[in-house]
Amino acid sequence: MKTANDVLSALQSAFPGAIEEAKVAPERQLWATVKPERIVEVCKYLRDNHGFDHYSGAVGVDRIDEGLFEVTELLASHGAHKVVALLKVKTPRANPRVKSLTGLYWNANWYEREIWEMLGIDFEGHPELYPLLLPDELVGSWPWRKDFKGYPDVTTGERAIETVTPDGYTHYRIPPTQAEIEAGTVPAQRPKYPTFREREEMEIKESSEMILHLGPQHAVVPGPFLLDILVDGERVRKAFLDVGYIHKGIEKIMENRTYVQGIPITDRLCYMAALTNNEAYCGAVERLLGIEPPERAQYIRVITQELSRIQSHLLGTAEFLTLIASAVYSPFLYMIIDREDVLTCIESVTGARINHSFVRFGGVRNDLPDGFKDMTLDALKMVREKTEEYKELFLSDSIYKRRMDGVGVLSPSEARRLGVSGPPLRASDTPYDMRREDPYLLYKDLDFDVITRKEGDSKARVEVRLDEIIESCYIVEQCLDQIPSGPIMADNVPKKVKPEPGEAYYRVEDHRGEMGFFVVSDGTDKPVKVKARGPVYAYFQALPPLLEGVYIADVVAIAGSMDACTSEVDR
Amino acid sequence: MELLSAITEFAAREPKIYGLILGLVAAAILASVINVAAMLLVWLERKVMGDLQSRYGPNRVGGRWGVLQLGADAIKLFTKEDIIPRGADKSVYVWAPIVAVATTMLIAGALPFGAVIIDGEVIPLVVANMDISALYVEAVLSLMAIGAFMAGYASNNKYSMLGAFRGIARMIAYEVPMGVCVISVAVMAHSLNLVEIVNAQQGIWFALAQPLGFVIFAICLIVDLGRMPFDQTEAEEEIIAGYNTEYSGIRFGLLYFQEYIVMLLGSILLVLLFLGGWNGPVIPVITFISPMVWFFMKLLIVLVALIWIRVSLPRFRIDQVTDLGWKILLPLSLINFVWAVAVGLYFA
Repeated sequence: MKTANDVLSALQSAFPGAIEEAKVAPERQLWATVKPERIVEVCKYLRDNHGFDHYSGAVGVDRIDEGLFEVTELLASHGAHKVVALLKVKTPRANPRVKSLTGLYWNANWYEREIWEMLGIDFEGHPELYPLLLPDELVGSWPWRKDFKGYPDVTTGERAIETVTPDGYTHYRIPPTQAEIEAGTVPAQRPKYPTFREREEMEIKESSEMILHLGPQHAVVPGPFLLDILVDGERVRKAFLDVGYIHKGIEKIMENRTYVQGIPITDRLCYMAALTNNEAYCGAVERLLGIEPPERAQYIRVITQELSRIQSHLLGTAEFLTLIASAVYSPFLYMIIDREDVLTCIESVTGARINHSFVRFGGVRNDLPDGFKDMTLDALKMVREKTEEYKELFLSDSIYKRRMDGVGVLSPSEARRLGVSGPPLRASDTPYDMRREDPYLLYKDLDFDVITRKEGDSKARVEVRLDEIIESCYIVEQCLDQIPSGPIMADNVPKKVKPEPGEAYYRVEDHRGEMGFFVVSDGTDKPVKVKARGPVYAYFQALPPLLEGVYIADVVAIAGSMDACTSEVDR
Repeated sequence: MELLSAITEFAAREPKIYGLILGLVAAAILASVINVAAMLLVWLERKVMGDLQSRYGPNRVGGRWGVLQLGADAIKLFTKEDIIPRGADKSVYVWAPIVAVATTMLIAGALPFGAVIIDGEVIPLVVANMDISALYVEAVLSLMAIGAFMAGYASNNKYSMLGAFRGIARMIAYEVPMGVCVISVAVMAHSLNLVEIVNAQQGIWFALAQPLGFVIFAICLIVDLGRMPFDQTEAEEEIIAGYNTEYSGIRFGLLYFQEYIVMLLGSILLVLLFLGGWNGPVIPVITFISPMVWFFMKLLIVLVALIWIRVSLPRFRIDQVTDLGWKILLPLSLINFVWAVAVGLYFA
């Protein structure tokens, strides 16, 4: 199997002079700075010759002191090897331009759009560079830049301009400040997301077609997002997705807090996955600090995170069931009841049921309480029995078969191309699991299987989740058997967290897939940049192509089988 | 006594007007009874669903059992604003709930609601004992889709429209097998009169004589009632609330309530056609209402079964529903018809 050093030497010989500041640290992570004009060639070379077929995301950093923007492209491989390539491209702040990778990787689209709207870096060759998370009016404010002082109305006290359209809808527009106009940071023509009427005019070809809104406030969506589907009768012809309704600016907030204050904010990325989000952030900061949690703390982290995976998969499956059945569907409530027991186990350790803020740099907050082992083993026994029962129910019911078999099929190659991860990818016969790909904590020593399915349809995704519940039970039982006594915090954790200047990237297997935190430090007590690379972002981007040609009823079945969480997409 | 004699005198003098008044009074009594029964049914459903799902259901208004919950809900609905959307077809929109409830009530007129025993004679409780009541009920059941379609069409809402289309598509697919099942029953009973059909089941229930027909009819009935797993017209996960998305206040209340009335009446129809109606051994002490007891016991079992099905089955997709209707149930219902004719002739 290829190591990062192999890839690096191959790169250096293939592109002499284009690769600078290359290093491998820690093992399996290849950091390099690439000349901006050659980034596409380098990525193409890596994709075609070294199996880097997974575009994991991109991070934009504002280096205001150096007058530069940095864009770091994260590349990985679905199984060919376990190297992550982090290729940095630098571009001057005055005229920021980077070549787009959308020609090579389909899913680079959203990541680049986000960096464009937040930092104002123009991606040359991007097919649809219009706002994703921000409303149209705010494009040109570039909120991720370090010299951003709030939106115009905040600094000047100006009120938003109110206009009423002929349809009777009210629009608000925040005018640019004089300073911005003089500085020329306001683009003359801002690209806009098409309005509903424009969309109708563009897309509707026949009189039998219409565009149907699912959202932003639909009865069942897991948070506000807009899914417009162009339907002809009951068939979906095309789907358009718009997110950003609950954009909270979490990454920017974390830049303005100390490292420790960032931990509770990571909870709010997605409350179903608070513990793994904590883990991903703390892991990245631990890498910056160069500390490692003691063994007992690692065990506690694994136990709580696997319990959290169980409760998340239970709720995810339950929500899926309500989508293809109804809100009064009984197994939904039975799963919620089962989940309560698991939550109680987690609560007894972390002190909270949903937003835990439990993981610390170099350890965990609490030790396991007395009687935890017995309580958890009881709960796991119950969960295991119930899960077997649910599996039997879903596999034998003929209506389930009709609703799930062959619905929303993702072939393995398609799933990889769309960049999804987690259960949807594993349901498409790709054993890609961070716990095996990029082993963190104790996972390299633990015994567990990566669950996969061949079919790639909605049913396979649900089955993967249910099997993972059983697998997680097994992991927790192992950990409870093996857990040693000892301290729960490392000795060398500094009182004031001020990492050395540098960058770290740390990936964990979230309940929904690959969750990565990219943290940049400049030696102060606040991070320069925190980037959360979430799995649901990738699901959402992959949703519209999946929905073409299905029935309206299948839209919710497919979207539900992804187990989405809007909060994490919008951040 | 004076009043009674005055009435008899009036009846003799003006038989037509007397008949009209009598009919109106009967209709008023019937409507009140049905409405109250449907209210109790809503309460029953919420309670049974609660029990099936490890939760309480209504338990605040009206004591521990929450019996008055529906009264509170009704007051709420009455006091809500009655919103008519800007682009709606106003008159159709306003009339749709009324048409829906009225067509449902039409069924009630022809259905026997049990029977009593007076002097050893079984007297069925039916307002209009028509010769073709089974056919009539079956016909009016399919009329119900009109109210829902009016509501969906007039709302000027895409979800409502989709719900209305689905309702019509489903109705067309399922009225045919349902009608064939009713005919099969009539063939065996040698009558289209519901009372006669019940009397014909004194020996053996038609559910046992033609089990296939019973199953098909029960499925078609659930489709007609628009209950899970066939509630595509108002699948909230897909099209919000389907044809009644735009309705609010008491108009919504009517549309909502209509579903429970028709659930009650549909269950009664099932009991009458296949489960032997009020037939059953005479219970000694309460001889007078003995048939009533049997009738309501069967009715309750059917209703609870419907509620049970609702919380335990996922929803079909609309194309699967029409597939099931045209490709499976219709041929099977014809087979059942042949069976009914053969058996009917053999025993005739």
